[in-house]
Amino acid sequence: MKAAENISKKLKDRFGASVVKTESPYDSRLFVEIKKEAVKEISNELIALGARYLVGVGYDSIKRDGNLGMVHTFSFDRDDLFVCIKMAAPADSPVFDSITPDIPNAGWSEREYMDLLGMKFTGHPKPKRLILADDWPEGIYPLRKEVPHNLMPPAAEDVAYQLDEAPEGTTTVPIGPFHTCLHEPAHFAVYVDGETIKGCDYRGFMTHRGIEKLCTTEVSYNEVPFIAERICGICGSVHATSYSQAVELAAGLKISRRAEFIRTIMLEIERLHSHLLWLGVAGHLIGFDTVFMQAWRIRERIMWLAERITGNRKTYGMIVIGGVRRDLTPENIQELLDVLKKVEEEMLVVQKAIIGDTAIHKRTRGVGCITKEEAVKWSLVGPVARARGVDIDTRRDHPYAAYDEMKFDVPVFDSCDVWATVLVRIVETFEAIKIIRQAVDKMPAGPVMTEFDEAVKPLVHSISAVEAPRGEVVHYVITGEDNRADRWRVRAPTYPNLQGVPMMLLNDQFADFPIILGSIDPCFSCTDRVEVVDVRSGRVSVVGRNELEELSRKKNTGVN
Amino acid sequence: MVLKPGVVTLKYPFEPHPAPETFRGAPHWDHHKCVGCGACSNHCSSRCILVRDMCQELRVMLYDGSRCTYCGRCADVCPEKAITISTGFEYATGDKNDITERVELFMLTCQRCGRCYDMEHTNAIDRLDLRGYRYDNLEARALIRKTSDQFDQKLFDETDKFARPTKIGE
Repeated sequence: MKAAENISKKLKDRFGASVVKTESPYDSRLFVEIKKEAVKEISNELIALGARYLVGVGYDSIKRDGNLGMVHTFSFDRDDLFVCIKMAAPADSPVFDSITPDIPNAGWSEREYMDLLGMKFTGHPKPKRLILADDWPEGIYPLRKEVPHNLMPPAAEDVAYQLDEAPEGTTTVPIGPFHTCLHEPAHFAVYVDGETIKGCDYRGFMTHRGIEKLCTTEVSYNEVPFIAERICGICGSVHATSYSQAVELAAGLKISRRAEFIRTIMLEIERLHSHLLWLGVAGHLIGFDTVFMQAWRIRERIMWLAERITGNRKTYGMIVIGGVRRDLTPENIQELLDVLKKVEEEMLVVQKAIIGDTAIHKRTRGVGCITKEEAVKWSLVGPVARARGVDIDTRRDHPYAAYDEMKFDVPVFDSCDVWATVLVRIVETFEAIKIIRQAVDKMPAGPVMTEFDEAVKPLVHSISAVEAPRGEVVHYVITGEDNRADRWRVRAPTYPNLQGVPMMLLNDQFADFPIILGSIDPCFSCTDRVEVVDVRSGRVSVVGRNELEELSRKKNTGVN
Repeated sequence: MVLKPGVVTLKYPFEPHPAPETFRGAPHWDHHKCVGCGACSNHCSSRCILVRDMCQELRVMLYDGSRCTYCGRCADVCPEKAITISTGFEYATGDKNDITERVELFMLTCQRCGRCYDMEHTNAIDRLDLRGYRYDNLEARALIRKTSDQFDQKLFDETDKFARPTKIGE
């Protein structure tokens, strides 16, 4: 029996009337419509069956049936299956049961829709503001369809985010919104006892750009890949591919095999450059700048290669719905192979230097430890999870593009610390080189574009995941009328991983904060992509300063 | 690891460092070839190609380079190959007009009806309008969803004073 049928039968047998409808447009996708009262039991049952929580997707369908909808998505990694449970509540009392007490990773997803859609989740352990700026007025929910994408309401006054209460006997050290160890704005309040970290609160989402809202109100299907690419500066192709795949699945469009191979090559080129970039940054964070310089020197070759293949160093602009825009010429391929050879040689030297360096061992071994069980519980993804012995990789578990034909190893280490993350990343660079060589060998001839006629049936749900260098990216698309999506949800890998950071920090030394945070390769811009209507970062940073002032005042009174 | 590669820093900007042939730089319009179909404007994801009919016969296409992401999509979709992508990349400037390109096209009128697309609401040009592709105020470059066939002073004033909504439904 197919996995989808199996799961849907199990749910129907167990919950009977609570399961309203099941639908499986593809073998690897299962959409289950449920009554909202049963969400807790059903999601717990799915986790018990071995699922991993991905993300929650809230959407507004007030105009159609007066409801707000919520979808929780799960992945069965061993069976290549995504399960999405859909439920709805009337817009005048959008109350759902919170699944966060059992599935901690759902915490942010639920908080997101408290902010953006005005939903309520009973039993949520931390129902605080997550996404909207502190001075966003109450009662305006930007993701609702009645709110225009360029709304700029007057700011609420006298509001500030209340940090979690510091544990007894600890001092609060504010890190951010701007800090040398953060590459993007985010605020961490770290509670320390002496040098030991005892807890941490996070206030981020300071780089909202309203991308999701914009793409569901203004632009059309085939323009979104270019905007999706700009969600993240490092893994642009990943977002464009994931979005394009989701729309292609919804439209039932089958792209040419050659296009799939070129997508695979682009994704792996991106992985190569991203791993080298991270290696450099990690070296820099622990004060080993030679690694930083050398890793980035090697990376430069890949950037130039990408420039010649696609026309740009980053934001390749290659991937659109229906295929890719440029074909690989024989000269490109020859150059690609030459660069790979060179990079491989030089990577071996760097690898040797890193593995033999005692300073790196001392700074990364036993740092940022969490157990495999915790990593599974918090559904961490990517190298962070693989360094904790969790054997997941979307390329292998849910093959997309041309990965079904590729042979590669998924490096998994079980020392559960930052060192293992470094190893995963290094090994994956060599795997990426392996994959590109296979793809070049096996690439069939053919067209690179398939006509996308933009006549997509409205209200089709579709989900697609792609393994970004730093973890798994999930895109959820609900197709709409007017040639654009009704709802588009992006979940970047930092979204789940950042939620696990407070746990990684626990009982570590404060000086290790930069490398622990750096080890997840945080990308706040991807995480913050959401639908807020204006860039209000300037405003937020002011609040941050007030917070700092308040904190310092508190500290002073403490001393006096 | 360090000694073998030696110094790799380029002397740029003191020595020129040209971009490869395939580089995607700023687009340029060939006004001899352009037929004013608006396909580039239709596909521009950053909405930086503006189309405005100044009057029945005159169509202005304005390329606003300050918002361009150099994706090169406009050149892909141009049916007349009127758009070429240059390899230039040194576009930093203090004056916006340095990177703005303006094409004024003399449009023919339909001999039968004067303005064909005025009569129906299903053709591509009208759909452009519905999706907010046109700009009515080239100076303010604010995104407005309305347009007129003839130059309309009232609409122009309206768009001239365009401000972002601060209340829902405004």
